[in-house]
Amino acid sequence: MTATIRKKNYSIAKSRHVIQWIVVIGTLLIGLRHIMPGEASRGGSFDSFCAFGGMETLLPFLFTGHLLKSTNLLNFSVLIATLGVSLVAGRAFCGWLCGLGTIQDFIAEWTRKLLGEKQHIRGKRSKTTLPLSLPVSIDRPLRYAKYLVLFWIMVGSLYTAYPPLREFCPVRAVFGLHMTTLLWVTLAVFIAGSVLVERFWCKYLCPLGATLAIFNKISPVQIVSASNHCNNCGRCDIECSMGIKDVPLNLDDPECTRCLECMDTCAREGSLELKVFKR
Amino acid sequence: MKIHPRYYPYIIITLYLVFLLIGILLGFGPERIGGGHGNNMLIQLALALEPLT
Repeated sequence: MTATIRKKNYSIAKSRHVIQWIVVIGTLLIGLRHIMPGEASRGGSFDSFCAFGGMETLLPFLFTGHLLKSTNLLNFSVLIATLGVSLVAGRAFCGWLCGLGTIQDFIAEWTRKLLGEKQHIRGKRSKTTLPLSLPVSIDRPLRYAKYLVLFWIMVGSLYTAYPPLREFCPVRAVFGLHMTTLLWVTLAVFIAGSVLVERFWCKYLCPLGATLAIFNKISPVQIVSASNHCNNCGRCDIECSMGIKDVPLNLDDPECTRCLECMDTCAREGSLELKVFKR
Repeated sequence: MKIHPRYYPYIIITLYLVFLLIGILLGFGPERIGGGHGNNMLIQLALALEPLT
């Protein structure tokens, strides 16, 4: 069967960027609201809107009946919403609805621009030196660090009054607008990391990403590859911000954020498709 | 069943909002300062688990 060259009449990337920036603006507005005098007491703290806050306060709540300080019952609703998306569509939350992911994409794009890439050409590897692509021998073990972070936080949550990640949380550092010395340090590390490695936080440290990773294997909505259409051009590998190798063979990789950049860049119609139950 | 990528963002956003609403309907709504926990499923589960701890 021969594949046809796809005529693009719809850009997934554009829709994604619009949604991502709406989320960023919304999160910033929540942060802004909570530095207004008297506003913090109305409807919970900034942390109440965090999906991972629900994970952090889950075990203490189940075992003691009390929430960790600065968290709120609303955290559970946000967590249920995030898990609901993931249950159906895998780690799509990370690729489409996470403000931190958007900021990392933005930093990576501007790093390339500042280092001389005038315009990104789809499917062509950037000639700039940053963000780096770490060797597999270093990259692979580092990816497991986020599972250790998740484990540390879940165990730690049973012994602390506040959520364990709170003082180092990059979401609070970027959007919280209520800075402490530790959060300034977190912000600096987050920015430096994102300049050096694309989606640094998502790849190596994000405990929410670690929680959602399993859903890529079990979600009914999957990206599927028609191998007889694929000519192994490698465009999808180049565009993958999570650095997944041999994308058509690893479409249910736990690292995939379901951003659909691989589908968007693919020039051969029918090579990559979005399907329910792979039928 | 094939899904056109055009509909993917709508699916994600709809899922998010529906599950958020389910969460709130289950009783996990925003608490006001001084407010109680209300009567939600997780509280009942926590109360049931309390004798075990």
